[in-house]
Amino acid sequence: MPTTPDDLPTTSPAPGGATRVDRRLLEILVCPVTKGSLTYDADRQELVSEAAKLAYPIRDGIPIMLPEEARPLDG
Amino acid sequence: MTPPDARVDGRGAAPPAGKAAITEAGQVVEAYGRWAPVYDLAFAAVMRAGRAAAAAAASAAAGPGGRIVDVGVGTGLELPMFDPGVRLTGIDLSEPMLRGAQRRVARERLGNVDGLLVMDATRLAFPDGAFDAAVVPYVLTVVPEPHRMMDEIRRVVRPGGEIVLVNHFGAERGPVAGVEAFLGRHSAALGWHPQFPFAVLGDWIAATPGIRLVERRRIRPFGLFNLVRLRLAP
Repeated sequence: MPTTPDDLPTTSPAPGGATRVDRRLLEILVCPVTKGSLTYDADRQELVSEAAKLAYPIRDGIPIMLPEEARPLDG
Repeated sequence: MTPPDARVDGRGAAPPAGKAAITEAGQVVEAYGRWAPVYDLAFAAVMRAGRAAAAAAASAAAGPGGRIVDVGVGTGLELPMFDPGVRLTGIDLSEPMLRGAQRRVARERLGNVDGLLVMDATRLAFPDGAFDAAVVPYVLTVVPEPHRMMDEIRRVVRPGGEIVLVNHFGAERGPVAGVEAFLGRHSAALGWHPQFPFAVLGDWIAATPGIRLVERRRIRPFGLFNLVRLRLAP
């Protein structure tokens, strides 16, 4: 049965066939607004800040850590 | 007096509304166009020397296996200049610039780059003390709130770590001052402010506990740019 090799944050090849973010680096990132912890959502390629109610997108291997570019979470 | 564009136009007709403003902007573009080749040939080389010096200083400060954040990495010009034994994280406000850095990392197979991230340097998404050193290449003069940026960089560097800046700090006299006066008149086109005084950084150092200036040296040739090393108290 085929298995997913890993859940590293890469969905599609980036321009130039480049890079993803190192998993250890991804794990230490904090919300730029609250400095609180983030949850990595591999399926949606987002870094979720529950405290700020924001989901920061990872686009082609580059996390966009700007509140104005983040998806607001409902509720 | 006849506007120059009317003569060039050759038809003698009244210029359309807004023509004068366009001409004025065109003159700035033209002036910058004359300047650009000099910039490319001379200043790009000098800026490159500054990048190399900053990368070497940060690599030495971080040590083998040490972690360095490059604040304002842009297209990653200095990424290949670091010691291959250090781990690099690059941030920039501009995603298109980071795409350039991403291509460079792939092209030059830079295996020591842990990530490239879009961030505002005054609101970093790193925890306290995450890095052994920070390098800040030609950024201080282009951000609106340099002190807030320095506060954030200090937060993410560990105690005993270093912040390495390479930047222009205004000269008060001599040939460099002449060049700067010219650059100052064109700072909008260049995107930075050549007459940015060292005092802006000096004030921050004076106001910030646990920060010590360990080195300030001019980058040859010309000495237009300075390398500054700051060390956090252990």
